[in-house]
Amino acid sequence: MFAIDWLTYPQHRGPRFSVSYHLHALASNERCLLRAHLDDEVALATVTDLWPAAGFMEREVYDLFGIAFEGHPDLRKLVTPEDFEGHPLRKDYPLGESPTLFNDGRFLDPAAFRAGMIGASSGRTGWVGGARRGVVSEVIVATDAAGAEGGGEA
Amino acid sequence: MSTLERTGYGIQELGRERHGDFETKLMRINVGPQHPSTHGVLRLVVDLDGERIVRLTPQVGYLHSGFEKTMEHRTYQQAVTYPNRMDYAHGFGHELAYVLSAEQLLDAQVPVRAQRVRVILTELNRIASHLLFMGTGILDMGALTLFFYTMREREAILDLFEMVSGVRMNYGYFRVGGLYQDLPEGFEAKARAFLDGFPKMLDQYSTLFAKNPIYLDRTHGVGIIPADVALAHGLTGPSLRASGVALDQRKAAPYSGYEDYTFEVPTSDAGDGHARFSMRMLEMEQSVKIVRQALDRLEPGPVKDPDRRISLPPRSELEHSMEAVIFHFKLVTEGFHPPRGESYVATESARGELGYHLVSDGGSMPYRVKIRVPSLVNLQSLEPACVGGLFADMVVNIASLDPVLGDVDK
Repeated sequence: MFAIDWLTYPQHRGPRFSVSYHLHALASNERCLLRAHLDDEVALATVTDLWPAAGFMEREVYDLFGIAFEGHPDLRKLVTPEDFEGHPLRKDYPLGESPTLFNDGRFLDPAAFRAGMIGASSGRTGWVGGARRGVVSEVIVATDAAGAEGGGEA
Repeated sequence: MSTLERTGYGIQELGRERHGDFETKLMRINVGPQHPSTHGVLRLVVDLDGERIVRLTPQVGYLHSGFEKTMEHRTYQQAVTYPNRMDYAHGFGHELAYVLSAEQLLDAQVPVRAQRVRVILTELNRIASHLLFMGTGILDMGALTLFFYTMREREAILDLFEMVSGVRMNYGYFRVGGLYQDLPEGFEAKARAFLDGFPKMLDQYSTLFAKNPIYLDRTHGVGIIPADVALAHGLTGPSLRASGVALDQRKAAPYSGYEDYTFEVPTSDAGDGHARFSMRMLEMEQSVKIVRQALDRLEPGPVKDPDRRISLPPRSELEHSMEAVIFHFKLVTEGFHPPRGESYVATESARGELGYHLVSDGGSMPYRVKIRVPSLVNLQSLEPACVGGLFADMVVNIASLDPVLGDVDK
Protein backbone atom coordinates (compact mmCIF):
# COMPACT_ATOMS: atom_id res chain seq x y z
CA MET A 1 0.00 0.00 0.00
CA PHE A 2 1.41 3.39 -0.90
CA ALA A 3 0.54 6.96 -1.88
CA ILE A 4 1.50 9.14 -4.82
CA ASP A 5 1.64 12.94 -4.88
CA TRP A 6 0.66 13.93 -8.42
CA LEU A 7 1.51 17.61 -7.84
CA THR A 8 4.26 17.87 -10.47
CA TYR A 9 3.11 15.13 -12.82
CA PRO A 10 2.86 16.63 -16.31
CA GLN A 11 -0.71 17.31 -17.48
CA HIS A 12 -2.23 15.65 -14.45
CA ARG A 13 -5.90 16.34 -13.91
CA GLY A 14 -7.83 15.48 -10.81
CA PRO A 15 -7.10 15.34 -7.11
CA ARG A 16 -3.56 15.82 -5.87
CA PHE A 17 -3.03 12.54 -4.04
CA SER A 18 -3.78 8.93 -4.62
CA VAL A 19 -3.51 6.01 -2.26
CA SER A 20 -3.02 2.62 -3.86
CA TYR A 21 -3.49 -0.86 -2.48
CA HIS A 22 -1.84 -3.96 -3.88
CA LEU A 23 -4.17 -6.87 -3.25
CA HIS A 24 -3.08 -10.45 -3.80
CA ALA A 25 -5.60 -13.29 -3.81
CA LEU A 26 -3.68 -16.38 -2.75
CA ALA A 27 -6.29 -18.93 -3.79
CA SER A 28 -6.35 -17.83 -7.43
CA ASN A 29 -2.91 -16.16 -7.42
CA GLU A 30 -4.35 -12.98 -8.89
CA ARG A 31 -3.24 -9.45 -8.18
CA CYS A 32 -5.28 -6.30 -8.15
CA LEU A 33 -4.35 -2.65 -7.78
CA LEU A 34 -6.96 -0.52 -6.06
CA ARG A 35 -6.54 3.23 -6.17
CA ALA A 36 -8.32 6.01 -4.28
CA HIS A 37 -7.86 9.60 -5.43
CA LEU A 38 -8.15 12.38 -2.89
CA ASP A 39 -7.34 16.03 -2.33
CA ASP A 40 -5.10 17.50 0.31
CA GLU A 41 -6.42 17.42 3.88
CA VAL A 42 -9.00 14.78 3.08
CA ALA A 43 -8.95 11.76 5.36
CA LEU A 44 -9.41 8.22 4.14
CA ALA A 45 -11.08 5.37 6.00
CA THR A 46 -8.70 2.81 7.40
CA VAL A 47 -8.52 -0.74 6.08
CA THR A 48 -6.75 -2.12 9.15
CA ASP A 49 -10.00 -3.74 10.30
CA LEU A 50 -9.99 -5.78 7.06
CA TRP A 51 -6.24 -6.32 6.76
CA PRO A 52 -4.13 -5.72 9.89
CA ALA A 53 -1.14 -5.78 7.53
CA ALA A 54 -2.04 -2.22 6.49
CA GLY A 55 -1.23 -0.92 9.98
CA PHE A 56 2.37 0.07 9.33
CA MET A 57 1.65 1.04 5.73
CA GLU A 58 -1.04 3.56 6.71
CA ARG A 59 1.28 5.00 9.34
CA GLU A 60 3.97 5.33 6.68
CA VAL A 61 1.62 7.18 4.30
CA TYR A 62 0.43 9.37 7.17
CA ASP A 63 4.04 10.18 8.04
CA LEU A 64 5.47 10.79 4.59
CA PHE A 65 2.42 12.29 2.83
CA GLY A 66 0.28 13.66 5.63
CA ILE A 67 -2.82 11.70 4.65
CA ALA A 68 -4.83 10.75 7.72
CA PHE A 69 -6.70 7.46 8.08
CA GLU A 70 -9.89 7.52 10.10
CA GLY A 71 -10.32 4.67 12.50
CA HIS A 72 -6.69 3.58 12.53
CA PRO A 73 -5.99 2.21 16.01
CA ASP A 74 -2.52 3.74 16.35
CA LEU A 75 -2.01 6.53 13.82
CA ARG A 76 1.45 7.85 14.66
CA LYS A 77 4.43 8.74 12.51
CA LEU A 78 6.39 5.71 11.43
CA VAL A 79 9.89 6.62 10.27
CA THR A 80 10.61 10.32 10.80
CA PRO A 81 11.54 11.66 14.26
CA GLU A 82 8.81 13.00 16.54
CA ASP A 83 9.99 16.58 16.24
CA PHE A 84 10.36 16.46 12.48
CA GLU A 85 8.00 18.76 10.63
CA GLY A 86 6.64 18.22 7.15
CA HIS A 87 5.92 15.25 4.92
CA PRO A 88 9.09 14.42 2.97
CA LEU A 89 7.61 12.46 0.08
CA ARG A 90 5.33 15.30 -1.00
CA LYS A 91 6.57 16.81 -4.21
CA ASP A 92 6.76 20.32 -2.75
CA TYR A 93 9.12 19.13 -0.04
CA PRO A 94 12.69 19.99 -1.11
CA LEU A 95 15.41 17.39 -1.24
CA GLY A 96 17.97 18.34 1.39
CA GLU A 97 18.45 21.99 2.31
CA SER A 98 15.93 21.84 5.14
CA PRO A 99 17.19 23.42 8.36
CA THR A 100 16.42 21.12 11.26
CA LEU A 101 15.93 22.03 14.90
CA PHE A 102 16.33 18.97 17.08
CA ASN A 103 14.54 18.78 20.38
CA ASP A 104 17.78 18.86 22.34
CA GLY A 105 18.47 22.34 20.99
CA ARG A 106 20.93 21.49 18.23
CA PHE A 107 20.31 23.36 15.02
CA LEU A 108 21.47 22.12 11.65
CA ASP A 109 21.49 24.51 8.74
CA PRO A 110 22.69 22.60 5.64
CA ALA A 111 23.67 25.71 3.69
CA ALA A 112 25.78 26.97 6.55
CA PHE A 113 27.21 23.51 7.05
CA ARG A 114 28.32 23.29 3.43
CA ALA A 115 29.85 26.75 3.65
CA GLY A 116 31.80 25.48 6.66
CA MET A 117 32.93 22.42 4.72
CA ILE A 118 34.69 24.51 2.09
CA GLY A 119 36.03 26.89 4.69
CA ALA A 120 34.12 29.92 3.40
CA SER A 121 32.52 30.53 6.75
CA SER A 122 32.22 28.75 10.05
CA GLY A 123 28.50 28.30 9.50
CA ARG A 124 26.15 28.12 12.41
CA THR A 125 27.47 24.72 13.37
CA GLY A 126 30.62 26.39 14.56
CA TRP A 127 32.81 23.94 12.68
CA VAL A 128 35.34 25.19 10.20
CA GLY A 129 36.40 22.61 7.66
CA GLY A 130 39.96 21.58 8.20
CA ALA A 131 40.53 18.87 5.64
CA ARG A 132 39.15 20.80 2.71
CA ARG A 133 40.39 24.24 3.63
CA GLY A 134 43.19 25.09 1.25
CA VAL A 135 43.30 26.03 -2.37
CA VAL A 136 39.51 26.00 -2.75
CA SER A 137 38.83 28.40 0.09
CA GLU A 138 41.58 30.75 -1.01
CA VAL A 139 40.11 30.97 -4.49
CA ILE A 140 36.66 31.74 -3.10
CA VAL A 141 37.88 34.42 -0.73
CA ALA A 142 40.05 35.98 -3.43
CA THR A 143 37.18 36.08 -5.94
CA ASP A 144 34.86 37.73 -3.44
CA ALA A 145 37.47 40.31 -2.52
CA ALA A 146 38.26 41.03 -6.17
CA GLY A 147 34.55 41.44 -6.96
CA ALA A 148 34.07 43.87 -4.07
CA GLU A 149 37.09 45.94 -5.04
CA GLY A 150 36.08 46.01 -8.70
CA GLY A 151 32.65 47.30 -7.70
CA GLY A 152 34.20 50.02 -5.58
CA GLU A 153 36.40 51.30 -8.36
CA ALA A 154 33.60 51.38 -10.89
CA MET B 1 7.65 16.63 30.83
CA SER B 2 10.76 14.59 31.40
CA THR B 3 12.52 12.78 28.59
CA LEU B 4 11.48 9.47 30.12
CA GLU B 5 7.79 10.34 30.11
CA ARG B 6 7.86 11.72 26.60
CA THR B 7 9.77 8.93 24.92
CA GLY B 8 8.82 6.04 27.13
CA TYR B 9 12.43 5.01 27.64
CA GLY B 10 13.25 3.23 30.86
CA ILE B 11 10.85 1.35 33.06
CA GLN B 12 7.34 2.58 33.75
CA GLU B 13 4.74 1.14 36.00
CA LEU B 14 1.35 0.82 34.31
CA GLY B 15 -0.96 -0.39 37.04
CA ARG B 16 -1.39 -2.68 40.01
CA GLU B 17 -3.89 -5.47 40.55
CA ARG B 18 -4.65 -7.29 43.79
CA HIS B 19 -5.08 -11.06 43.70
CA GLY B 20 -5.98 -12.07 47.26
CA ASP B 21 -2.82 -11.82 49.31
CA PHE B 22 -0.48 -10.66 46.64
CA GLU B 23 -0.41 -7.89 44.14
CA THR B 24 0.71 -7.88 40.48
CA LYS B 25 1.75 -4.93 38.43
CA LEU B 26 2.22 -4.37 34.72
CA MET B 27 5.57 -2.99 33.71
CA ARG B 28 6.44 -1.19 30.51
CA ILE B 29 10.04 -1.61 29.55
CA ASN B 30 12.03 -0.37 26.63
CA VAL B 31 14.27 -2.64 24.55
CA GLY B 32 16.70 -1.00 22.19
CA PRO B 33 17.22 0.79 19.87
CA GLN B 34 20.79 -0.17 20.77
CA HIS B 35 20.41 -3.77 21.83
CA PRO B 36 22.42 -6.73 20.57
CA SER B 37 19.38 -8.96 19.98
CA THR B 38 17.51 -6.46 17.82
CA HIS B 39 19.87 -6.94 14.84
CA GLY B 40 20.33 -3.23 14.33
CA VAL B 41 18.42 -0.28 15.64
CA LEU B 42 14.98 -1.68 16.39
CA ARG B 43 13.23 -0.37 19.46
CA LEU B 44 10.52 -2.35 21.19
CA VAL B 45 8.19 -1.08 23.89
CA VAL B 46 7.07 -4.12 25.83
CA ASP B 47 4.34 -4.31 28.46
CA LEU B 48 5.06 -7.14 30.84
CA ASP B 49 2.96 -9.00 33.37
CA GLY B 50 5.75 -10.65 35.31
CA GLU B 51 7.68 -12.53 32.67
CA ARG B 52 4.77 -12.67 30.22
CA ILE B 53 4.38 -10.18 27.40
CA VAL B 54 0.93 -8.57 27.19
CA ARG B 55 1.65 -5.95 24.54
CA LEU B 56 4.53 -5.20 22.23
CA THR B 57 5.00 -2.20 19.97
CA PRO B 58 7.90 -2.00 17.54
CA GLN B 59 9.22 1.53 17.03
CA VAL B 60 11.08 1.83 13.77
CA GLY B 61 12.71 4.63 11.81
CA TYR B 62 16.10 4.91 13.48
CA LEU B 63 17.78 4.00 10.19
CA HIS B 64 15.45 5.92 7.89
CA SER B 65 17.51 7.16 4.96
CA GLY B 66 14.83 8.43 2.58
CA PHE B 67 15.82 6.11 -0.26
CA GLU B 68 12.46 6.52 -1.99
CA LYS B 69 12.87 10.30 -2.15
CA THR B 70 16.51 10.01 -3.21
CA MET B 71 15.68 7.61 -6.03
CA GLU B 72 13.15 10.10 -7.38
CA HIS B 73 16.11 12.40 -8.01
CA ARG B 74 18.37 9.90 -9.78
CA THR B 75 18.15 8.50 -13.28
CA TYR B 76 17.00 4.90 -13.56
CA GLN B 77 20.53 3.62 -14.12
CA GLN B 78 22.02 5.70 -11.30
CA ALA B 79 19.36 4.47 -8.89
CA VAL B 80 20.77 0.91 -9.11
CA THR B 81 23.23 1.85 -6.37
CA TYR B 82 20.49 2.42 -3.79
CA PRO B 83 18.53 -0.84 -3.55
CA ASN B 84 21.36 -2.97 -2.19
CA ARG B 85 22.02 -0.45 0.55
CA MET B 86 18.63 -1.17 2.05
CA ASP B 87 18.86 -4.89 2.64
CA TYR B 88 22.60 -5.17 3.01
CA ALA B 89 22.36 -8.88 3.78
CA HIS B 90 20.54 -9.71 0.53
CA GLY B 91 21.68 -6.91 -1.75
CA PHE B 92 21.37 -8.77 -5.03
CA GLY B 93 17.73 -9.54 -4.23
CA HIS B 94 16.96 -5.84 -3.96
CA GLU B 95 18.94 -5.03 -7.09
CA LEU B 96 17.10 -7.71 -9.01
CA ALA B 97 13.70 -6.46 -7.86
CA TYR B 98 14.55 -2.92 -8.91
CA VAL B 99 15.98 -3.72 -12.35
CA LEU B 100 13.09 -6.09 -13.13
CA SER B 101 10.59 -3.36 -12.40
CA ALA B 102 12.51 -0.79 -14.47
CA GLU B 103 12.81 -3.29 -17.31
CA GLN B 104 9.07 -3.86 -17.23
CA LEU B 105 8.58 -0.10 -17.71
CA LEU B 106 11.02 -0.07 -20.60
CA ASP B 107 9.97 -3.40 -22.06
CA ALA B 108 13.67 -4.30 -22.21
CA GLN B 109 14.88 -7.66 -23.56
CA VAL B 110 17.33 -9.16 -21.08
CA PRO B 111 19.64 -11.76 -22.66
CA VAL B 112 19.40 -15.31 -21.31
CA ARG B 113 22.95 -15.30 -19.99
CA ALA B 114 22.29 -12.17 -17.93
CA GLN B 115 19.18 -13.78 -16.46
CA ARG B 116 21.10 -16.92 -15.50
CA VAL B 117 23.89 -14.91 -13.90
CA ARG B 118 21.32 -12.89 -11.97
CA VAL B 119 19.74 -16.06 -10.65
CA ILE B 120 23.14 -17.50 -9.67
CA LEU B 121 24.14 -14.38 -7.76
CA THR B 122 20.74 -13.86 -6.14
CA GLU B 123 20.56 -17.44 -4.93
CA LEU B 124 24.15 -17.38 -3.65
CA ASN B 125 23.25 -14.19 -1.84
CA ARG B 126 20.18 -15.89 -0.39
CA ILE B 127 22.49 -18.56 1.02
CA ALA B 128 24.80 -15.87 2.43
CA SER B 129 21.83 -14.06 3.95
CA HIS B 130 20.46 -17.23 5.54
CA LEU B 131 23.94 -18.04 6.86
CA LEU B 132 24.10 -14.64 8.51
CA PHE B 133 20.61 -15.26 9.88
CA MET B 134 21.54 -18.68 11.32
CA GLY B 135 24.78 -17.46 12.84
CA THR B 136 23.41 -14.36 14.51
CA GLY B 137 20.09 -16.00 15.37
CA ILE B 138 21.73 -18.79 17.31
CA LEU B 139 24.17 -16.27 18.75
CA ASP B 140 21.20 -14.42 20.25
CA MET B 141 20.28 -17.58 22.10
CA GLY B 142 23.74 -17.74 23.57
CA ALA B 143 25.42 -20.28 21.29
CA LEU B 144 28.55 -18.67 19.99
CA THR B 145 30.18 -21.47 18.00
CA LEU B 146 27.87 -21.70 14.99
CA PHE B 147 28.45 -18.04 14.19
CA PHE B 148 32.08 -18.75 13.29
CA TYR B 149 31.13 -21.66 11.02
CA THR B 150 28.41 -19.80 9.13
CA MET B 151 30.63 -16.74 8.76
CA ARG B 152 33.32 -18.96 7.24
CA GLU B 153 31.01 -20.08 4.44
CA ARG B 154 29.59 -16.60 4.04
CA GLU B 155 33.11 -15.33 3.48
CA ALA B 156 33.53 -17.82 0.64
CA ILE B 157 30.36 -16.46 -1.00
CA LEU B 158 31.43 -12.86 -0.47
CA ASP B 159 34.73 -13.72 -2.17
CA LEU B 160 32.71 -14.79 -5.22
CA PHE B 161 30.80 -11.51 -5.14
CA GLU B 162 34.06 -9.62 -4.84
CA MET B 163 35.20 -11.39 -8.00
CA VAL B 164 32.22 -10.18 -10.02
CA SER B 165 31.58 -6.74 -8.59
CA GLY B 166 34.78 -5.73 -6.84
CA VAL B 167 33.10 -5.27 -3.47
CA ARG B 168 31.76 -7.53 -0.76
CA MET B 169 28.58 -5.56 -0.07
CA ASN B 170 26.56 -2.92 -1.96
CA TYR B 171 27.39 -4.52 -5.28
CA GLY B 172 25.74 -2.39 -7.96
CA TYR B 173 26.45 -5.12 -10.50
CA PHE B 174 23.07 -5.48 -12.18
CA ARG B 175 22.02 -2.89 -14.71
CA VAL B 176 18.66 -2.05 -16.17
CA GLY B 177 18.80 -4.21 -19.30
CA GLY B 178 21.41 -6.71 -18.14
CA LEU B 179 24.64 -6.72 -16.19
CA TYR B 180 27.51 -4.29 -15.76
CA GLN B 181 29.86 -6.75 -17.45
CA ASP B 182 30.31 -10.47 -17.99
CA LEU B 183 31.44 -12.84 -15.24
CA PRO B 184 35.19 -12.83 -14.66
CA GLU B 185 37.30 -15.78 -15.70
CA GLY B 186 37.39 -18.57 -13.15
CA PHE B 187 34.10 -17.62 -11.49
CA GLU B 188 32.27 -20.75 -12.58
CA ALA B 189 34.97 -23.10 -11.33
CA LYS B 190 35.14 -21.30 -8.01
CA ALA B 191 31.36 -21.29 -7.62
CA ARG B 192 31.20 -25.02 -8.39
CA ALA B 193 33.96 -25.72 -5.87
CA PHE B 194 31.92 -23.87 -3.25
CA LEU B 195 28.72 -25.72 -4.14
CA ASP B 196 30.50 -29.08 -3.92
CA GLY B 197 31.73 -28.38 -0.43
CA PHE B 198 28.65 -26.65 0.90
CA PRO B 199 26.28 -29.61 1.57
CA LYS B 200 28.94 -31.05 3.87
CA MET B 201 28.94 -27.79 5.77
CA LEU B 202 25.15 -27.93 6.09
CA ASP B 203 25.55 -31.37 7.69
CA GLN B 204 28.08 -29.89 10.03
CA TYR B 205 25.61 -27.21 11.11
CA SER B 206 23.00 -29.90 11.74
CA THR B 207 25.31 -31.79 14.05
CA LEU B 208 26.33 -28.55 15.73
CA PHE B 209 22.93 -27.22 16.56
CA ALA B 210 19.93 -28.88 14.92
CA LYS B 211 20.10 -31.78 17.38
CA ASN B 212 21.28 -29.65 20.25
CA PRO B 213 18.74 -30.10 23.10
CA ILE B 214 19.24 -26.57 24.43
CA TYR B 215 18.52 -25.02 21.04
CA LEU B 216 15.50 -27.28 20.55
CA ASP B 217 14.10 -26.32 23.96
CA ARG B 218 14.58 -22.66 23.21
CA THR B 219 12.76 -22.77 19.87
CA HIS B 220 10.15 -25.57 19.93
CA GLY B 221 6.65 -24.19 20.39
CA VAL B 222 7.98 -20.66 20.84
CA GLY B 223 6.31 -17.75 19.07
CA ILE B 224 3.70 -19.74 17.20
CA ILE B 225 2.11 -17.74 14.36
CA PRO B 226 -0.93 -19.56 12.90
CA ALA B 227 -1.33 -19.34 9.13
CA ASP B 228 -4.41 -17.08 9.23
CA VAL B 229 -2.74 -14.63 11.62
CA ALA B 230 0.39 -14.63 9.48
CA LEU B 231 -1.56 -13.89 6.32
CA ALA B 232 -3.64 -11.18 7.99
CA HIS B 233 -0.48 -9.43 9.16
CA GLY B 234 1.13 -9.67 5.73
CA LEU B 235 3.88 -12.10 6.66
CA THR B 236 5.74 -13.47 3.64
CA GLY B 237 8.84 -15.44 2.87
CA PRO B 238 10.34 -18.34 4.84
CA SER B 239 8.54 -17.20 8.00
CA LEU B 240 5.16 -17.56 6.27
CA ARG B 241 6.13 -20.94 4.81
CA ALA B 242 7.00 -22.04 8.35
CA SER B 243 3.31 -21.44 9.13
CA GLY B 244 2.23 -23.79 6.37
CA VAL B 245 1.45 -21.44 3.46
CA ALA B 246 3.46 -22.43 0.39
CA LEU B 247 3.68 -18.93 -1.07
CA ASP B 248 6.88 -18.31 -2.99
CA GLN B 249 6.97 -15.63 -5.69
CA ARG B 250 9.53 -17.70 -7.60
CA LYS B 251 6.74 -20.24 -8.11
CA ALA B 252 3.67 -17.99 -7.95
CA ALA B 253 4.91 -15.47 -10.53
CA PRO B 254 8.23 -16.69 -11.96
CA TYR B 255 10.68 -14.04 -13.07
CA SER B 256 14.21 -14.14 -14.50
CA GLY B 257 13.65 -17.67 -15.78
CA TYR B 258 12.87 -19.28 -12.42
CA GLU B 259 10.27 -21.39 -14.20
CA ASP B 260 13.13 -23.31 -15.88
CA TYR B 261 14.62 -24.64 -12.66
CA THR B 262 13.37 -27.53 -10.60
CA PHE B 263 13.27 -26.79 -6.91
CA GLU B 264 10.91 -27.32 -4.04
CA VAL B 265 9.33 -24.87 -1.66
CA PRO B 266 9.77 -26.32 1.83
CA THR B 267 6.90 -25.71 4.24
CA SER B 268 6.11 -26.67 7.78
CA ASP B 269 2.89 -26.63 9.76
CA ALA B 270 4.41 -25.87 13.13
CA GLY B 271 4.64 -22.09 12.74
CA ASP B 272 7.04 -21.80 15.67
CA GLY B 273 10.56 -20.49 15.98
CA HIS B 274 12.07 -23.88 15.26
CA ALA B 275 10.13 -24.19 12.00
CA ARG B 276 11.30 -20.76 10.92
CA PHE B 277 14.89 -21.75 11.56
CA SER B 278 14.60 -25.05 9.73
CA MET B 279 12.89 -23.40 6.74
CA ARG B 280 16.07 -21.43 6.13
CA MET B 281 18.20 -24.56 6.43
CA LEU B 282 16.04 -26.33 3.84
CA GLU B 283 15.96 -23.28 1.59
CA MET B 284 19.74 -23.20 1.44
CA GLU B 285 19.69 -26.74 0.03
CA GLN B 286 17.18 -25.64 -2.61
CA SER B 287 19.26 -22.60 -3.48
CA VAL B 288 22.29 -24.84 -4.03
CA LYS B 289 20.16 -26.87 -6.44
CA ILE B 290 19.08 -23.77 -8.35
CA VAL B 291 22.61 -22.40 -8.64
CA ARG B 292 23.86 -25.77 -9.91
CA GLN B 293 21.19 -25.85 -12.63
CA ALA B 294 21.86 -22.26 -13.61
CA LEU B 295 25.60 -22.92 -13.85
CA ASP B 296 24.93 -25.97 -16.01
CA ARG B 297 22.79 -23.92 -18.40
CA LEU B 298 25.14 -20.98 -18.55
CA GLU B 299 26.08 -20.45 -22.19
CA PRO B 300 28.27 -17.75 -23.69
CA GLY B 301 26.41 -14.77 -25.01
CA PRO B 302 25.70 -11.10 -24.51
CA VAL B 303 24.88 -9.84 -21.02
CA LYS B 304 23.19 -6.56 -21.98
CA ASP B 305 20.11 -5.57 -23.91
CA PRO B 306 21.48 -4.75 -27.39
CA ASP B 307 19.14 -1.75 -27.58
CA ARG B 308 21.43 1.28 -27.76
CA ARG B 309 18.81 3.43 -26.07
CA ILE B 310 19.14 1.36 -22.89
CA SER B 311 22.65 -0.09 -22.69
CA LEU B 312 25.95 1.67 -23.19
CA PRO B 313 27.69 0.78 -26.48
CA PRO B 314 30.84 -1.36 -26.13
CA ARG B 315 34.10 0.54 -25.75
CA SER B 316 35.46 -0.71 -29.08
CA GLU B 317 32.59 0.89 -31.01
CA LEU B 318 33.23 4.32 -29.55
CA GLU B 319 36.49 4.56 -31.46
CA HIS B 320 35.01 4.42 -34.93
CA SER B 321 31.27 5.05 -34.70
CA MET B 322 29.91 8.56 -34.27
CA GLU B 323 26.47 7.13 -33.59
CA ALA B 324 27.79 5.07 -30.69
CA VAL B 325 29.39 8.18 -29.21
CA ILE B 326 26.09 10.03 -29.42
CA PHE B 327 24.19 7.20 -27.70
CA HIS B 328 26.92 6.98 -25.07
CA PHE B 329 26.70 10.72 -24.43
CA LYS B 330 22.90 10.68 -24.19
CA LEU B 331 22.88 7.73 -21.80
CA VAL B 332 25.58 9.12 -19.53
CA THR B 333 24.32 12.68 -19.33
CA GLU B 334 20.60 12.13 -19.42
CA GLY B 335 19.69 8.47 -19.20
CA PHE B 336 16.80 6.78 -20.96
CA HIS B 337 13.17 7.84 -20.86
CA PRO B 338 10.73 5.02 -20.17
CA PRO B 339 7.21 5.67 -21.45
CA ARG B 340 4.59 6.90 -19.02
CA GLY B 341 3.19 4.18 -16.86
CA GLU B 342 3.67 2.10 -13.77
CA SER B 343 5.30 -1.22 -13.04
CA TYR B 344 5.55 -3.65 -10.18
CA VAL B 345 7.33 -7.00 -10.14
CA ALA B 346 6.98 -9.11 -7.01
CA THR B 347 10.15 -11.05 -6.26
CA GLU B 348 11.12 -13.44 -3.50
CA SER B 349 13.82 -11.94 -1.35
CA ALA B 350 15.47 -13.91 1.45
CA ARG B 351 12.94 -12.29 3.77
CA GLY B 352 9.73 -12.32 1.73
CA GLU B 353 7.91 -10.53 -1.03
CA LEU B 354 9.95 -7.65 -2.34
CA GLY B 355 8.84 -5.35 -5.11
CA TYR B 356 9.48 -1.91 -6.50
CA HIS B 357 6.46 0.03 -7.67
CA LEU B 358 7.81 2.55 -10.17
CA VAL B 359 5.76 5.39 -11.61
CA SER B 360 7.17 6.99 -14.74
CA ASP B 361 6.13 10.40 -16.04
CA GLY B 362 8.12 9.93 -19.24
CA GLY B 363 11.21 11.59 -17.76
CA SER B 364 14.62 10.15 -17.14
CA MET B 365 14.02 9.77 -13.41
CA PRO B 366 11.27 7.79 -11.71
CA TYR B 367 8.36 9.97 -10.63
CA ARG B 368 7.65 7.82 -7.60
CA VAL B 369 9.40 4.80 -6.16
CA LYS B 370 7.54 2.70 -3.65
CA ILE B 371 9.46 -0.18 -2.17
CA ARG B 372 7.50 -3.03 -0.71
CA VAL B 373 10.11 -4.12 1.82
CA PRO B 374 9.48 -7.51 3.40
CA SER B 375 11.18 -6.78 6.73
CA LEU B 376 8.88 -3.89 7.64
CA VAL B 377 5.70 -5.81 6.86
CA ASN B 378 7.00 -8.95 8.55
CA LEU B 379 7.72 -7.00 11.70
CA GLN B 380 3.97 -6.61 12.23
CA SER B 381 3.82 -10.32 13.02
CA LEU B 382 6.16 -9.85 15.95
CA GLU B 383 3.39 -8.82 18.32
CA PRO B 384 1.12 -11.84 17.68
CA ALA B 385 4.18 -14.07 17.95
CA CYS B 386 5.32 -12.63 21.26
CA VAL B 387 2.11 -11.86 23.17
CA GLY B 388 1.46 -14.45 25.86
CA GLY B 389 5.00 -15.73 25.64
CA LEU B 390 7.99 -15.23 27.88
CA PHE B 391 10.09 -12.13 27.62
CA ALA B 392 13.20 -14.21 26.98
CA ASP B 393 11.49 -15.84 23.98
CA MET B 394 11.08 -12.46 22.35
CA VAL B 395 14.73 -12.68 21.35
CA VAL B 396 14.04 -15.97 19.55
CA ASN B 397 11.05 -14.41 17.79
CA ILE B 398 12.97 -11.38 16.55
CA ALA B 399 15.80 -13.59 15.33
CA SER B 400 13.50 -16.06 13.61
CA LEU B 401 11.54 -13.34 11.76
CA ASP B 402 14.89 -12.12 10.44
CA PRO B 403 14.35 -8.38 10.04
CA VAL B 404 17.15 -6.35 8.49
CA LEU B 405 16.79 -2.88 9.86
CA GLY B 406 18.05 -1.17 6.73
CA ASP B 407 15.22 -2.96 4.96
CA VAL B 408 12.71 -1.95 7.63
CA ASP B 409 13.44 1.76 7.67
CA LYS B 410 14.68 2.25 4.09
